[in-house]
Amino acid sequence: MTNTSTIKGPSREEIIPLWNGEINMRVRIAGSGPAMVYFHPAGGLYWDEFLDQMAQHFTVYAPELPGTTPGDPYIIYKVDSYTDLLLMYEEVIRKLDLEDIVAVGQSMGGMVALDLAANYTTLFSRVVALAPTGLWREDAPVGIADLYATPPEKVPAFLFQDPSIPAAQAMFSLPDDPEDIPMHVAQHVWNLGCAGKFLWPIPDHGLVQRLHRICAPTLIMWGEQDQLVSSVYAQEFANGIEDCSVSILSDCGHILQMEKLDETVEQVRSFLD
Amino acid sequence: MKVLSFQQLPYRHLPDDFAQKYNSVVTTPYHELVDPALMHQDHVDFLDEMLHAARCGFDGIGLTEHSQASYDILPNPNLQLAALAYATQSEGLDTALACLGRSLGKSKEPLRIAEEYAVIDQVSGGRLIAGYPISLSYDANQNQGIPPIETRTRFAENIELIDKAYHTKEPFQWNGKYNKHPHVNLWPRPIQPKLPVWAPAVGNPNTLAGILDRDQVFLYLSWFGPKLTGRVFERYWEIAEERGRDVNPHRLAFLQCVAVGETDEEAHREYGPHVKHSFNTGLGCIPLESMGIPGYMDIKGVEFITKDPGDFGVMPKMRNISYSEIVDAQCCIVGSVETVTEQLIELVKTHRIGNLALMVQHGSMPPELTKKNISLLAEKVMPAVKAAFSDQGWDKWDHSWWPTGMSGANKND
Repeated sequence: MTNTSTIKGPSREEIIPLWNGEINMRVRIAGSGPAMVYFHPAGGLYWDEFLDQMAQHFTVYAPELPGTTPGDPYIIYKVDSYTDLLLMYEEVIRKLDLEDIVAVGQSMGGMVALDLAANYTTLFSRVVALAPTGLWREDAPVGIADLYATPPEKVPAFLFQDPSIPAAQAMFSLPDDPEDIPMHVAQHVWNLGCAGKFLWPIPDHGLVQRLHRICAPTLIMWGEQDQLVSSVYAQEFANGIEDCSVSILSDCGHILQMEKLDETVEQVRSFLD
Repeated sequence: MKVLSFQQLPYRHLPDDFAQKYNSVVTTPYHELVDPALMHQDHVDFLDEMLHAARCGFDGIGLTEHSQASYDILPNPNLQLAALAYATQSEGLDTALACLGRSLGKSKEPLRIAEEYAVIDQVSGGRLIAGYPISLSYDANQNQGIPPIETRTRFAENIELIDKAYHTKEPFQWNGKYNKHPHVNLWPRPIQPKLPVWAPAVGNPNTLAGILDRDQVFLYLSWFGPKLTGRVFERYWEIAEERGRDVNPHRLAFLQCVAVGETDEEAHREYGPHVKHSFNTGLGCIPLESMGIPGYMDIKGVEFITKDPGDFGVMPKMRNISYSEIVDAQCCIVGSVETVTEQLIELVKTHRIGNLALMVQHGSMPPELTKKNISLLAEKVMPAVKAAFSDQGWDKWDHSWWPTGMSGANKND
């Protein structure tokens, strides 16, 4: 799905059979150039301006978490564990037959990108994680349980420092046709449910113990006012990853690539050049 | 027909502004709200009232499980039921003990539940009714930390494990997704060879189909107002027919809140404030989001209730619902013996209800008033409702979901 008519969105897709034929993973693709794999956050793949801009310089491959592809909700039950999910993502990347891959992940997708880089140390040439989950500090609890129990009308202010920006308004808008609203709502709720399998109640799968294995140069970016995953975690990641840069964007919430699009694009491109 | 007295265990002394300041689940601050002496007294009064219902002649007494809730402080209802099992046994009361029940979508220790039920069945001489709800979302997911999308798969494995543990004579190994045991060999086993199982549910068609396929009793509740949610009964009997089950009224249990006085005016005056308090501060203070953390409900279920939220009746406005709305929607039936009897009979006849669980204590209602309610129901309402059931000719149906007592003792055959 896309947010407004100004978004180009993915231009094609591939369905990759995985897991001994048990799972078909849809990969949305746009652009041309070197390979960039984008791992989406808990809400599902939402193609935004950031991805459009990345597609001007890269071939962006965006695999969809099993269960979040419309029309195939129950495939999530084929994914037994977080470990198996990582294996599936590794398999899809392998089957796409890509080389010199840049990984970008947002929130849960950031955790996935970093954990893949820790497990398969030569899989990515660079990693960019935008406000990733995956670590835990007692003094800064990650708000997954709060997000999932937040009334829908309060979610924008939870995820954005300024929920009035057009990109945020577009992301939370409902379909024009009332007939389409129930399925739209159900798909969004289900996407969170599928992601919750790997995030609930606390998104900590021991990544802190594996960060030292990450060889790829890594950029960690965060919105300073992030209410879902505190920006204090940026330094935690940097402490564990050998070659890691950190950037904190001020006046910015969790979805930094939408709230601070220009800065995010500029810094990501600069890091990848 | 069987009639049970049912109670929750609310903290009865919540402040008047509770509904404006707090939720009743998950995050409700204990120390800020609770006087230890009163909490103790509420626990004792609860057992006194339940025992009073058994002494008054109810066919059964029932309760259920909720953790981290101010409206029903029964994190493990089998603790209370064990005490009541012995108390009724020592008095020679042949009262069914209905745990409605232990939540299997929430449980990380299903064999512990199987053991508890077996112990209660032993102490009570075979008087247990076992309940296996899936669990409300807030309890399984927010309180217990179960990933919402695994609530139902966990339920399915847990009920299968318990069933096998009861019915397999030799020790066995269990290699499940959620449970792994090298030796499953319960001591004791229940007295009853086949524990009667009642399954509380809110009316999800898939859940109803599962209840029918497992040949259990569907327990539906009046919280949301049966005048608004009566279609759930129709749905149940339609699914029963689709799945080849008979229309034995004993397949259906209904839990109805009731408060009965000598006159309508007296009942409304005495019980009204407590009934309103109960709905406003209890169910009314459960955030709607906590009833369905994403993943708890199937994608089709979310689509269905987004299109048509009718199954939830008055639930969305319960925090501020007026007393008259509660009564009008029949969330609670309040009135004289005649009024209450008439409305209960209408429900029984309309929906083919073979088991009626009457919720007798509401919110801040004190023990004396609760016992009055129990006594009037047992003496004056219950006989008339049972007679109306018989008049339908429904006594001809066997009740295969009622405790056998010692007569069904599990022999070594």
